[in-house]
Amino acid sequence: MKRMSFQARYRMIGYQFLIPTFLVLLLVVAMPLLFSLVLSMFRYTFLSPRLNEFVGFSNYASVVHDQYFWNSVKVTFLFVLMVVPLEFFIGYGIALMLSRPEIRFKSIFYFILTIPMVMSPVAVGLIWRMLLHPELGVVNYLLGKLGFGYVNWFGDERLALFTVTLVDVWQQVSFMVLLLLSGITSLPKEPFESATIDGANWLQTLLFVKTPLLMPIITVALLQRVITSFKTYDLVYILTSGGPGVSTDLISYNIYRTTFMGLDLSVASAVSYMLLIVILAITVVIFRSTMKGNE
Amino acid sequence: MKKRELFVCVLVVCLLVPLSVFSAGSRESGAGKPVTLNLLMEDVPDTQIIKNMLPEFEAKTGIKVNFEIVQYTDMHTKLITQFLAPTSTYDVIEVDNYWAGEFPAAGWLEPLDEYVKKDNFDMSVYVPAMMEMVGYYKDKLYMIPMYNYTMALMYRNDVFTDKALHDKYRKQFGKDFAPPVSLDEYVEQCIFVQANTNMYGSAMQGGKGDPIAMEWSNYFFALGGRIYDDNWKATINGPIALKAIELYKKNIAQGAPAGATSYTLEDSLRMMSAGEAFSFISYNWMLAQFQDEKVSKLKDKVQLVPVPGESGLAGGWGWAIAANTPKKDAAWEFIKWVESPAVVKARALAGGAPTRYDVLRDAEVLAKYPYYNEVEEILEKARPVPEFEYSSQMVEMLGRELSLIVSSGKDPKAALAQLEKDFNELAKKANLQK
Repeated sequence: MKRMSFQARYRMIGYQFLIPTFLVLLLVVAMPLLFSLVLSMFRYTFLSPRLNEFVGFSNYASVVHDQYFWNSVKVTFLFVLMVVPLEFFIGYGIALMLSRPEIRFKSIFYFILTIPMVMSPVAVGLIWRMLLHPELGVVNYLLGKLGFGYVNWFGDERLALFTVTLVDVWQQVSFMVLLLLSGITSLPKEPFESATIDGANWLQTLLFVKTPLLMPIITVALLQRVITSFKTYDLVYILTSGGPGVSTDLISYNIYRTTFMGLDLSVASAVSYMLLIVILAITVVIFRSTMKGNE
Repeated sequence: MKKRELFVCVLVVCLLVPLSVFSAGSRESGAGKPVTLNLLMEDVPDTQIIKNMLPEFEAKTGIKVNFEIVQYTDMHTKLITQFLAPTSTYDVIEVDNYWAGEFPAAGWLEPLDEYVKKDNFDMSVYVPAMMEMVGYYKDKLYMIPMYNYTMALMYRNDVFTDKALHDKYRKQFGKDFAPPVSLDEYVEQCIFVQANTNMYGSAMQGGKGDPIAMEWSNYFFALGGRIYDDNWKATINGPIALKAIELYKKNIAQGAPAGATSYTLEDSLRMMSAGEAFSFISYNWMLAQFQDEKVSKLKDKVQLVPVPGESGLAGGWGWAIAANTPKKDAAWEFIKWVESPAVVKARALAGGAPTRYDVLRDAEVLAKYPYYNEVEEILEKARPVPEFEYSSQMVEMLGRELSLIVSSGKDPKAALAQLEKDFNELAKKANLQK
């Protein structure tokens, strides 16, 4: 019998160590994904939780023909397009400021930045709902004292999505700051010294040295925020219930309603799969473009 | 023992220890062990009132009771996931009338007829309309009425005694400034008060979904509207609904705070309690809150009357037992206690919202809350939303279209046509319409 080489045996041991993790992943990730794919092709509701009637892609077809689904798609893209760049630029700006050596008491800033991140979105929603209450809220009161007009934060359909965006930025920008800050502090010093010797000013150093070097961290931060923004649900649930009208009806909230009010797991699974495909596609595009630029 | 065998032994022990702990938990109701009942409760005054009385029940029966108090919006989701599990965490269930068709139809509630019969539990004291709404489903008893939140008109009576305002109203409309007798008159008064005082006319709850759907239903029912006919054909698309929308739109635009298009019941209550509004159409139990000087400026200043017109919107909760709880007998003990005459009376005196004639007509209760005469009339007259498997979805659809009308300027006729189509589809899905 031919004996395995040392390297082959070494590799085999590695695979054996992976088996428990693989099994757990199979159980908690692959199985639910597969189950929801099956559900999306059957008629399955909470009132009749049986896989009796195979309907093929008709659940997907009914979703595509629903005008409010397309509204949710539009609102969700708008939300992601507002929230991610805002969080990135504000977060990068704060991270750059905090990375300067002359800034003192950094631990206090880190502590303050961590607070919104550890709060539950429901608590954040409730707090901001009170602060931005159009008639009794402190924000409108202060704006009034400063001579600004009345702002209907949640009741004006042109403003409500922007309000939800602001609250989300308030909560999530800390994540961006801390991630980018950790990247900035771990950058090597030599490229910056070379840039200084070559006469590069602050902006040139930022655009042509620091930012390219940070690209792997920026990619991770952007990807993480794009994915979680697409899945935002709690804030809308607390702040606006998708209204006024359908102006803040994000796709995840649409899925929630289909599941728990419509009691229809099949259609909810179909919408979830469509969302999954969109997120996967965007992830691949962002990953490829930023990595390509980095190379 | 080889290493591999030792590893397998450790693995088996690691797996079995937690399993044995979990199975011990499920044997809690067995002989000799104290029973703990878990209840998911809405964060409303009656919940706190009952919570304060729990030591009495625990001392009497030895059964522990644990309340998980959450906002209304969280309840449905939490309950459904428990109903689908092999064993429900929640034993006694608080059932909103929106779910009074859905839960029994799905087989998630235990029928109570046998329990009632066995203990001669007196059902004759309950207001029949409450029994229809949160008692029976297809002639079987699944719930015991717990609490009513039937809606009524509440207004500041001091506004009507303001002579200058009275004279101005008479000059403008040629009649006395007196409590409204029709919906048109109510809207007219709200707009008038907002234009001529520093108060808002009505603290409306125009937030998307349940808030706007509930408030508007009062306008619709007051004008004689019905959502479905007796054969479950949608009847919402018609002149009555159009008139109700016209009045509602007018009031929210000219007789309510600008932010009312996002208000929930909490926002409306806050505005009214702060003395910022002349009136609102809301839940009758709120009147007791205005008597509390710690949270309200309106002690003895608010009058409660039925919504002017044919009827208002009925609402209520019922007690039920989860079909998948192993603690059914203990759950029934709790329901028997919490709905016993003495406990219901004590709850009512503390500001609860009774569903029984004996308590509504009790001399001591009436001395504290004289308006319970009106509440009795309101309970008998009001009409609930149609109860069936998809009531929640129906209310959500209604709330969406109404919000689109008041906030986005959607054509009411187009919105009603959409609702008619959607409601007919829901009735067909529930096999109610052939």
